[in-house]
Amino acid sequence: MTLVLLVFIPLAGGLIAGWMGGKDSTACRWISLGALGLDALLALGLAFHYLGGSGNPGDSRWFIEWSQPWIPQFGISFHFAMDGLSLVMVLLTLFLGLIGVGASWTEIQERVGFFHFNFLWILSGVLGVFLAMDLFLFFFFWEVMLVPMYLLIRIWGHENRRYAAVKFFLFTQASGLLMLISIVALALLHPGNGQGVTFDYNVFLQNPLHGPAAKWIMLGFFVAFATKLPAFPFHPWLADAHTEAPTAGSIILAGILLKTGAYGMLRFILPLFPTAVHEFSTTAMILGVIGILYAAILAFAQDDMKRLVAYTSVSHMGFVLLGIFAGTDFALKGVVIQMICHGLSAGAQFMLVGALYERIHTRDMRKMGGLWDAIPGFGVATMFFAMASLGLPGLGNFVAEFMILVGSFQVAPKLTILATLGLIAATLYSLRLIRRAFHGPRQDEKAYPDLTLRERALNGAFALGLIWLGVYPQPAINAVTPTLKSIQSSAATPMAEHNAISGESQ
Amino acid sequence: MLNLLWTIPVFPFLGFLILLFFGERLPRKILALVGAGSVGVSAAVTSLVAYAFITNPPEGHAFHQVLWTWISVGDFHPQIAFYLDALALVMAGVVTGVGFLIHVYSIEYMGTDKDFARFFACMNLFVFAMLVLVLADNLLLLYIGWEGVGLCSYLLIGFWYREPANCTAAQKAFIVTRVGDTVMAIGFFLLVVQLGTLDVQGLMERAQSEWGPASGMATLAALLLLGGAVGKSGQLPLQTWLPDAMAGPTPVSALIHAATMVTAGVYLIARTHVLFELSSTAMMAVAVVGCLTLLLAGFSALVQTDIKRVLAYSTISQIGYMFLALGVGAWSAAMFHFMTHAFFKALLFLAAGGVIHALHDEQNMFKMGGLWKQLPVVFWTFLIGSAALAGIPLIDAGFYSKDAILWAAYSSEHGSFLLWLGAWIGAIMTSIYTFRMVFISFFGEAKNHVHHKPGLTILIPLIILAALSLVAGFIELPHNMGHIQMFSHFMGTAFESAGEHAQTMAEPGGEAMFQILAGVGSLAGVLIAWWFFLKNPASADSLASTPTGSRLHHFWKSGWGFDAFYDKVFVQPFRWISEVNKADIVDGFYSAIAGATQLTHSVLSLTQTGRVRWYAAWVTVGSVMILGALLFK
Amino acid sequence: MTSTDFLSLLPFIVLSVLILALMGEISYRRDHALVAWTTLGGFLATLVSVLVASQASPHTQEPLLVVDGFGLFFIALLVLASLPVAALAKDYLEKRPGYREEFYMLLCTATLGGMILVSAIHFATVFIGLELLTLSLFGMIAYTRTSGRSIEAGIKYLVLAAISSSFLIFGLALIYFELGGMGFAEVLEAVKGGDHRETVLLAGLALTLVGAGFKLALVPFHMWTPDIYEGAPAPVTAYIATASKGAMTAVLLRLYLMGGKEMPTGLWIALALIAVASMFAGNLLALLQENIKRILAYSSISHLGYLLVAFLAGGTYAVEAVVYYLVAYMATSLGAFGVVSVLANKSGEIEELDDYRGLGWRHPFQGGVLTAMLLSLAGIPLTAGFVGKFYLVAAGVDGSTWWLLFFLVLNSAIGLYYYLRVVATLYDVNQKEESTFSPLALSGGVVLAILTLVVIGFGVLPGPFIAWIRDHLT
Repeated sequence: MTLVLLVFIPLAGGLIAGWMGGKDSTACRWISLGALGLDALLALGLAFHYLGGSGNPGDSRWFIEWSQPWIPQFGISFHFAMDGLSLVMVLLTLFLGLIGVGASWTEIQERVGFFHFNFLWILSGVLGVFLAMDLFLFFFFWEVMLVPMYLLIRIWGHENRRYAAVKFFLFTQASGLLMLISIVALALLHPGNGQGVTFDYNVFLQNPLHGPAAKWIMLGFFVAFATKLPAFPFHPWLADAHTEAPTAGSIILAGILLKTGAYGMLRFILPLFPTAVHEFSTTAMILGVIGILYAAILAFAQDDMKRLVAYTSVSHMGFVLLGIFAGTDFALKGVVIQMICHGLSAGAQFMLVGALYERIHTRDMRKMGGLWDAIPGFGVATMFFAMASLGLPGLGNFVAEFMILVGSFQVAPKLTILATLGLIAATLYSLRLIRRAFHGPRQDEKAYPDLTLRERALNGAFALGLIWLGVYPQPAINAVTPTLKSIQSSAATPMAEHNAISGESQ
Repeated sequence: MLNLLWTIPVFPFLGFLILLFFGERLPRKILALVGAGSVGVSAAVTSLVAYAFITNPPEGHAFHQVLWTWISVGDFHPQIAFYLDALALVMAGVVTGVGFLIHVYSIEYMGTDKDFARFFACMNLFVFAMLVLVLADNLLLLYIGWEGVGLCSYLLIGFWYREPANCTAAQKAFIVTRVGDTVMAIGFFLLVVQLGTLDVQGLMERAQSEWGPASGMATLAALLLLGGAVGKSGQLPLQTWLPDAMAGPTPVSALIHAATMVTAGVYLIARTHVLFELSSTAMMAVAVVGCLTLLLAGFSALVQTDIKRVLAYSTISQIGYMFLALGVGAWSAAMFHFMTHAFFKALLFLAAGGVIHALHDEQNMFKMGGLWKQLPVVFWTFLIGSAALAGIPLIDAGFYSKDAILWAAYSSEHGSFLLWLGAWIGAIMTSIYTFRMVFISFFGEAKNHVHHKPGLTILIPLIILAALSLVAGFIELPHNMGHIQMFSHFMGTAFESAGEHAQTMAEPGGEAMFQILAGVGSLAGVLIAWWFFLKNPASADSLASTPTGSRLHHFWKSGWGFDAFYDKVFVQPFRWISEVNKADIVDGFYSAIAGATQLTHSVLSLTQTGRVRWYAAWVTVGSVMILGALLFK
Repeated sequence: MTSTDFLSLLPFIVLSVLILALMGEISYRRDHALVAWTTLGGFLATLVSVLVASQASPHTQEPLLVVDGFGLFFIALLVLASLPVAALAKDYLEKRPGYREEFYMLLCTATLGGMILVSAIHFATVFIGLELLTLSLFGMIAYTRTSGRSIEAGIKYLVLAAISSSFLIFGLALIYFELGGMGFAEVLEAVKGGDHRETVLLAGLALTLVGAGFKLALVPFHMWTPDIYEGAPAPVTAYIATASKGAMTAVLLRLYLMGGKEMPTGLWIALALIAVASMFAGNLLALLQENIKRILAYSSISHLGYLLVAFLAGGTYAVEAVVYYLVAYMATSLGAFGVVSVLANKSGEIEELDDYRGLGWRHPFQGGVLTAMLLSLAGIPLTAGFVGKFYLVAAGVDGSTWWLLFFLVLNSAIGLYYYLRVVATLYDVNQKEESTFSPLALSGGVVLAILTLVVIGFGVLPGPFIAWIRDHLT
């Protein structure tokens, strides 16, 4: 029931906030903050209970599970469950959600109620995605978050918002429908548990699908997740969506929505289609590496600061793709850390760009220069997160990328070496951002207000998170270890059989 | 006492935090106190630790302090842990000691700068990172320091960021070293995957037991680490950033780009010497890189006009000597030269800084001249530093440390006559360009006016460093001149596993001859410099104005064309590609689909004429089509 | 006539009585409200009579009609679709000049035609039902005589419907010529034989298909749709889009259930091509439309294309999928056109997308309802359209019609573009000062509220309805 509450609180909060918004925008902001805060407390309570060591149920796969029939004719149920991976993602979601409300405190002045309604519904959808263990329910939440996100970009976005919003929606929806076909095909082709059609994750997990059908079904999932991630060549929606979205939208997009793609791969693709993954992994890793380098070069070329940051997300998600399909212990743990750290560093960067835009009313770096003089606080913060993004050791992103690269080096050294070039490319675009915006001579002599206390606090929260993960990532690693282990074992067992069979035939 | 080890890096870090958060609000005096004081405390703690370490050596001559486990994945458990042995101690001593002096110097030097707090914040952060680098017990933690010093270097080169050239130099430094770091990171991946650890001691043991001598894997790993080392230490082929790095304030050049950070590569190789000894190829590579670099940089230094650029090239060249020493297995000689170099090169930079400061930021030597009367203390300390750099026999530290390297280059089992010859020619070059600098800047007629004389906070560090440049050599004397081996004995505790090849190979008789050759060489260099640049400057000009001469002059001055080459081969193509693909060609593909869809819409819309006869015609066409499909299937 | 006959035909009888009553009422005294309420009451009575008739079902009136669960379900569905149309028309016509009362009579005759269609087991009955429906529709489309567009649309419909009817009747003649009968069972039996059958039979079948295709507005018989949707009064458009198409779908579904699953390959291919072409044509034509009624018209073309996929897939889920999708689509379309209808003001309907800018802020209820309907058409979760789409995919996967599914997905994506465009327009900042939309009347509000509840209810809790379909229709 706790899990249902977890999903339901933002939903209800959104309704109340939307209703209040017309009357009192400040109250509406506080309600959103309160709802998310409550949710976060709930999630933290779970975290302390289950990760603190006292209440860990041991060999049970899930910390908590809740199930209620929904469409029994298809074996569809409201099946929520939480394990370490879900919990970590839920925490990240709520953290970024809180930050998002904070970041839009002054930015959003119009239709405040509807904004928060949409914002909280997105979060609710995302939470549902992270907790749903019924594939139909998963898809349901997967889609639920799209419309509010669309509206968020469409209504509160920047100049080119219409184009960006539609592009975002079309890419995710088209790929999502492919996944729907895959989900239905999986449900109908899977032998199930002998009691008719089912969409239950646990059933699929116990008996993974093999053979040519598995390959196609996996591809359907892959396209959807790779689009969300986004992986090359499904990435073009992202640059526009991130650039045009309001700050909170960008934070959520980069911080969490992209992670649902990675989460989906970890949760569904790896364990449910082991043999297909085995055959496909090289291709996927190549896509990952191309993504890393290609997006980095794109980021380097941009003049729009937000667009630059957007492309860096694609580049960083390339590491995630590489790690997931490398599939080693190192790589998978690195992937989770990368998901968290990128959520923090990209979220922070988008927040900074948004705050900067509020002051100087442009995102075009050609019109900036020498801003360090005027707003040194911005300079320090931007420098910090740029360094995080280029993988400076001591910050979380380094730990993540190091683990991913070591993990993929174990299975694909040559590809990994190419991927490592991404570290150089990251340096190029990060320094270029600093150079063009903050260094050099001033373009004008106007005075701008530096970071406010609220903004400093939000940045500080991001920074502390990154430092913590940089020097002591172990709690996060421990939290997801059992999940990843089971993912690996279900992925490895049939693979070993598969290998054994092909080995005998040789 | 040894347990205080972890506090050594903590003080500068605390200083950094205070300066970062309160830098804008505190008065300058407090800022100076925090900035220099934190490093001072750190230096004091270091000497306490050193005292404890030397008087009461821990078991195995190494002290290990674990703070917490950093990451734990499978069998891989890198820790946040410090490791103190002779090597680390010498490094830490130099970093905190010389670092403290330079901080003190900076109080006056940077006194009027508006970003005083930012300067000290970065400097403190640098000292912290450098200490993490030298004290780390595993390569991953070392990498934190490694990249941390790179960041600080970037921040400080670009300290005066309003000047675009400075920003470019800073970016260049970061990017070029990052290339090396990336190579090194790949080396780490290889080590983790192959040996399962990055813990230095464990790594060395496993490398020995699992790979053994002449293993290809060991060669590969060592060469990858070398990639990182050449980047950080400004060796071929990644040396191009260091001369440009002189855009930073002079104390930065002294601390980061002369005394400490740039020698991190030397430290890395010394730290992992067991791995390098497994592969003679890798050793040879190190030696050759060092030898070539010292020659190339020497020639470049000869033709520079900017006093700091001369010093920068000389730094590259001197680190080349250290690499040469490493490459021939003369570990302690390399570290000895590192130490003396830290003293005299920091001194030279600081003294040059004194000149630059006095002349209102004038760095062109040819606009100085005759300064020896106006700035006597600066002149004398600069002269002492120059003597050490040139290796003037007997009286200074530079001679002893360089002599040890020259001898090892010939006599070690990895050494050869060619290596020695290169090093010897380099030594002559060193002495020529060093005294060219001295003669042009301090002698002759004065071309510029001294605006203000340096105060005590500048002079005292100069005097202390000058003293060290003179006497530091006496802790290690060749066996035919006193045979003091304090340094190498002490160092030997860190290099126990490796034999000190240099001393064991050749018979002592030859050594004297090489010492004489070295001495004669450096004195000859002084003489040549005197002839061309003080006695008869026209001859130097005429030599440089012949076609070959001017072409060579230009070639050397531009650093052997490396910049132009890299620009053509890497920078331009990258820029071109990024510019061409700015709008993302993949997006174009999707846009084309969207465009095609819209086009289809327009075409289809033409069918909606609103005319009934047209619609009726379509009903007919449709029925014909269905008939066709059914009948002629 | 036995009592079973009587009982089973009760819905037809009740509706006919209603028509007579309306005639009487109008000739006695024109009272719009009274007529409208009588109609609504009559429809409710028809619904009750359906329940009564279900006691006597299944009952066959050889050789023309059958009253069975299937037929009664669709009769109820038609009446349920006509009810909101009548309620919407009440408000709508109130704002119009001229006589209003005959409209309800036409609505009833059209519905009667539809009821005959869904009960048909003989092509002759089909023809009778179809003509009754079509002729009434002609009157309804052209009903607002003061509007030139309405008249134009009516005439277009008349001409084109007549053409397609002539194809149909020629096709029936050919079938009769070949088989000597036109009962569904006979024809299906003959067709089942496969591809070696006589050319004449196949030609007859093909021409019959033209008639059905026209009614369902499938490519290439779709041309009339946008013009008529645009020209007809909004409640009538709603009726065409739902009741009229629903009745024809029911005919096809009955044929399918009676043995049409094993259709000849040629027919399958022809239908597949029609399905794909309809999806593409509908969506692409709607893409950049600026007129909301035309957008919905084109969208209906593509939706019928989607629906065909389930037919073509066959398999266990085909019938359920078709029924569910149809119901979802009908509720959604009624809602969408309903909003257009209630927004119409005295000077006419408001159709240009530009005029809808900011509707969601000025009229949150109407805007919200329209949003829900558009999202349902787009197949977004929490709406009936989502479950409907899921059902279609399930049917397609079950029948392994991968290519059709692929096109379905592709087209859903294209479709999204224009649905979202409309949704976004609703929530754009409004440039105009005052609202030209007419205020919400009670009956319209109730209808829209109920439809919204249905659309969302079927989206959130589809289980009971699915169970019901499974129990009663398959």
